[in-house]
Amino acid sequence: MLEDNPFFVLGLATDASRIELEREAQKLLGMLELGFVDAKTYLTPLGPRSRTPELVRAAVAALRDPYRRLIAELWARHAPPAASVEVAAAEPEPSHNGIRRALGWGV
Amino acid sequence: MYALPVILLGRLHRYAIDARRKNRTWHYFAWSAVAALIATILFALGTAVVALFVYVKLWWLAGLVAGVLVLPIVGPTLVRHVLVPFGAYRLAYYLGWASRPGKDPTAYGLVAAAWALTTRPTGTGEVWITRKRDVRIPLGDAEVITTALLAASRGDLATARLLMRSVLMVVEDHPMVRELAGEWVACDAVERGAWSELADDATCARWPATPLTYFLEGVAARRIGAPNAPSARELWARWLLAPKRRITAELREAAIPPTPARPSASEAQGSDPIDTAPSERAPLPRAIAAHLAFSAGSASELSLDTTVRAWDAALSDGATHSWLARRALELDAPLGAVDRALREVAAVVTADLARIADAAQLGSPASHGPIGDALGRRLRHGRLDSLEAGFTRWLQRRHDGEDHAAIDEWREFIALQSAYLAAVTAGGTDLRRLAFPHAYSTGTSMAAWLWNARSEYALSHAISKWLLDEALAVGDAEAIELGHRNVGLYVPTRNDK
Repeated sequence: MLEDNPFFVLGLATDASRIELEREAQKLLGMLELGFVDAKTYLTPLGPRSRTPELVRAAVAALRDPYRRLIAELWARHAPPAASVEVAAAEPEPSHNGIRRALGWGV
Repeated sequence: MYALPVILLGRLHRYAIDARRKNRTWHYFAWSAVAALIATILFALGTAVVALFVYVKLWWLAGLVAGVLVLPIVGPTLVRHVLVPFGAYRLAYYLGWASRPGKDPTAYGLVAAAWALTTRPTGTGEVWITRKRDVRIPLGDAEVITTALLAASRGDLATARLLMRSVLMVVEDHPMVRELAGEWVACDAVERGAWSELADDATCARWPATPLTYFLEGVAARRIGAPNAPSARELWARWLLAPKRRITAELREAAIPPTPARPSASEAQGSDPIDTAPSERAPLPRAIAAHLAFSAGSASELSLDTTVRAWDAALSDGATHSWLARRALELDAPLGAVDRALREVAAVVTADLARIADAAQLGSPASHGPIGDALGRRLRHGRLDSLEAGFTRWLQRRHDGEDHAAIDEWREFIALQSAYLAAVTAGGTDLRRLAFPHAYSTGTSMAAWLWNARSEYALSHAISKWLLDEALAVGDAEAIELGHRNVGLYVPTRNDK
């Protein structure tokens, strides 16, 4: 869906040409091989995820297939940018933490 | 002749305590005062007689009189203020028993021991208490509360909560034990900030109230702005009556003046604005944004409904179809790719939403469309399947030849009942009607077996009572008739002795 969307994995726009996809994939594989820190993560609307050579190979293979590229485009093109997704605030802490114990009811 | 006034005073003291448990009005204070006065007289009398026997060197008689006259008065206080804080579970058990608070003193002793263990949990203690619990057949409220406290001492609060609440279905009623369960439930609710839950318990008078429970209920009523909330003066009176005043003073201060009526933060639902997509967005980006916000935030009925509506609109939208058709042409995708893509997206979205809705026990969405209909179907079928599997597994326990402890049978039943209630609450009346026949046939069979073969009368009665309530809810005439017959049976309990 979005987490392992090929366009996010390769860090490319949805209108990227076939040649651009192949070139980017080769570049990323090389960078990962050399251990470049920048290449080890990619951004998604759900937050950063770690990038592996397997993911890159799977992404470029998916985008070679017109139908799978259509699906990937549908998600990537219409998803909000990573920064715009507001993560819901964490559950508030219980207002009286530890009071059960203080009132004589255990651990 | 001298014993007669003491016996009368003892009876009156018991009567005052029982009367207090039934009230949540000014009578509570009046009966508390009467009980305290009689307790003081009895204690003074008892200690005077003991002192007299000690003076004349009749030590054995002094010990006997102390056991008969003084222990019933000071026993519960010693358990609460001395033995529980020190985790002295064995002493709590024997002192609880010796204080004889009713016809079945072992029940109180058992719960007092489990209560002491919650302060300083040990494996040895748990084994010791479990042994004492298991020799008591049939299962009653004290055994369930003991098990709940043992779970709490292991830190398993969810199980403890479920077991404590399940006691309300058990026909055997030890008031001394129930009021301790009520106090645990109240303290737990305060810790979670579940003020509405606590105020609801108070309104329905589900538990007999100890002075501490009575005070906490007052705090809860004021915190949620309930119409029957006590006045500031009454709350002060409740606080003075309750133990641990140094700790509870903070709660009293927070409840005065009353805060405006609103649900507590942990109970608030539907207030989170999940649809972060601006309204001018096209349907598809809107749907994806709503989906992302729903996955990331706390799932609620409202947020699910908004997300499903957004998806139904997006997948039925002409712009989405034409964009897909144009891109399919440009990419040279195979024939039928648009319909296939729409189906695939719908399937992925439905699966993801169903996973989240199932985990949060949300109901079927109201929206009708490719996602709304599929999600509704999936949630109903999934829940029904898992319920049927659960009930079949339960019935299988009877035939697998293994003799499970009564408390394990009870835990299995309440886990299933809880799953059933969650599913029918989420799935509505339709799902309830579909799920009831399976629950009914299995439940009736198990109730009959537990009654006839295991002599677990209270457990069997609780199952029959629950089935009758469900039969009434779905309007099953045959089940209602049988249910009334089963529930009408006399249930022997330890309180009958």
